[in-house]
Amino acid sequence: MTDLENLYLAILNGNLEMAENITAEAVKEQIAPQLIIQEYMAKAMHETGKRFEAGEAFVPELLMSARAMKGALDILKPLMVGEGTKGMGKVVIGTVKGDLHDIGKNLVAFMLEGCGFDVINLGVNISSDKFVEAVKEHKAQIVCLSALLTTTMNYMKTIIQALEESGLRKQVKIMIGGAPVTEAFAAQIGADGYSENANAAVALAQRLIAG
Amino acid sequence: MTAKERVKTALEHRNPDHIPIDFGATSVTGIHCKIVEALRNHYGLEKHPVHIIEPFQMLGEIEPDLQEIIGTDCTPLFGPKNMFDIDESSVHKQTTPWGQEVLIASGIDLTPDKEGDVYIYAKGDRSYPPSAVMPSLCYFINAIERQPPIEEDQLNPEDNLEEYGPLSDDELEYYKHAVQKAAETGKAVIASFGGTGLGDVAFIPGMGVKEPKGIRSVAEWYMSTVMRKNFIQEMFEKQTDIAIENYKRLWETVGNQVDVVFTCGTDFGTQNSQFCSPETFRELWLPHYKRLNDWIHSNTSWKIFKHTCGAVVPLLPCLIEAGFDIINPVQINAKGMEPAFLKKEFGKDLTFWGGGIDTQRILPAAKPEEIRAHVWKQCEILGKDGGFVFNAVHNIQANVPIENAIALIDTLREIRNA
Repeated sequence: MTDLENLYLAILNGNLEMAENITAEAVKEQIAPQLIIQEYMAKAMHETGKRFEAGEAFVPELLMSARAMKGALDILKPLMVGEGTKGMGKVVIGTVKGDLHDIGKNLVAFMLEGCGFDVINLGVNISSDKFVEAVKEHKAQIVCLSALLTTTMNYMKTIIQALEESGLRKQVKIMIGGAPVTEAFAAQIGADGYSENANAAVALAQRLIAG
Repeated sequence: MTAKERVKTALEHRNPDHIPIDFGATSVTGIHCKIVEALRNHYGLEKHPVHIIEPFQMLGEIEPDLQEIIGTDCTPLFGPKNMFDIDESSVHKQTTPWGQEVLIASGIDLTPDKEGDVYIYAKGDRSYPPSAVMPSLCYFINAIERQPPIEEDQLNPEDNLEEYGPLSDDELEYYKHAVQKAAETGKAVIASFGGTGLGDVAFIPGMGVKEPKGIRSVAEWYMSTVMRKNFIQEMFEKQTDIAIENYKRLWETVGNQVDVVFTCGTDFGTQNSQFCSPETFRELWLPHYKRLNDWIHSNTSWKIFKHTCGAVVPLLPCLIEAGFDIINPVQINAKGMEPAFLKKEFGKDLTFWGGGIDTQRILPAAKPEEIRAHVWKQCEILGKDGGFVFNAVHNIQANVPIENAIALIDTLREIRNA
């Protein structure tokens, strides 16, 4: 019998191989993917995030946990198709046009995914048209915009305007983040929220979905 | 007091006649070419294409006429090649995607593709995939990660050291002439010899390498600081060996005509945290930094300049212990980087080279009058009893309203004359 506490520890310690092996074993034993995700993976990611916020873990540790989580999730995903998953919600995330920074954005994406959100990661240098298309295609409930530069953060406003013009603004909540971005900037450009790190982003997304 | 004396006095933590100023002496204290042109136009200086002295960030040359207006006390000594390992001695006229005519290294072609993106090639060789890109709507260049598949048992630190090696006689000859020219300005000479940045993620992707091997993805590099510590130790050890040998020859060549060496731009801070704990810093970086810095202090008159962005308060004692004299850019709006606290806690040991104006929230966004008050306040706090060279928090970016850049320059003149 697989001890799934070890999956929790593998993700917390960023051990990809161990996370994959335990997950594969759990699948063989027909443990429900949702149980594995909610009871072990999400909790491990939450603890990693807490350690990051407390200054006990840093970006490298967060990246390693995210990688281990992703490895485990990739094993579970094919089993969840058509299962009618009770996901937390659908998120479209990307770094805005003109900006190629992706580490922080990816950490937010991984953390959301690890905590049960269905995440569509568009990548970097994403135009307003592409965000609009993705929201339409995936019927997203949340849009996450990232920018690391003072020269690109204003493009977030362009994206929000494009979502308004396409009539999609009311169906999505918009979250923003990135080094120069602030709560005040979020309010100024009409976003629904700002978070200063990946852990806080999950909490914010959960609040926004709950309405 | 000459410009050079002013800087040296500040570096000795004594009061100069007024606060020394740097704009343009390093790749982290410069001004974007778009703003350099706007300033030249505003002050009615001769109109000609701005020379790009650092293409990665598209920094413009601040020529003597503009230096005089800004009141700069420092002059750069850059190497003969840029980040893409392209020779800087030959330039050609190019138009940037935002329509500015510039002079840039001949190996760089700024013609955008149909998406509006500009691609840069290591050593200017287009027979290999591009090593960097300036996407449309971006005002500088970004590395393209070309991470080959990693096989743990095949990893060799030498692969990440391909771009580091002994200086050639030609390079030393270049420095011999370049330093004379720099010294003739009478300003403090700030040298960026290169090769000494340990794990700087600006260099990890190897933008000057045609086919990079080893660990070349930034995320993979960060994870390596936890899971491949032996690899990193060995790489830093060898890189420092090479650096010390090069520095011996550079000291023989340029001697005390150089005042400050910018050795390392590895960022240890994020907006709110650090990239590693003090324990990891002590384990991975400190011994190597200390070895190079001890050599410099024992054998030369150079002061050592360390750049790290972000909230680095927990690491500042380690950087002091490692022997750095100068910290830049002093990101005063990052968590815990409160100027009065920094000056009180670390001002005896470190010269603050930067922190003169917040470039995330003040310079691009505030009103000119707010800029004036902010700059005065920063100078009063950080400039007390020397130990401060005025510079913004990192380079002045392309989106800064010109009236704000002018307000900054006007305030510096007020402070000089006060």
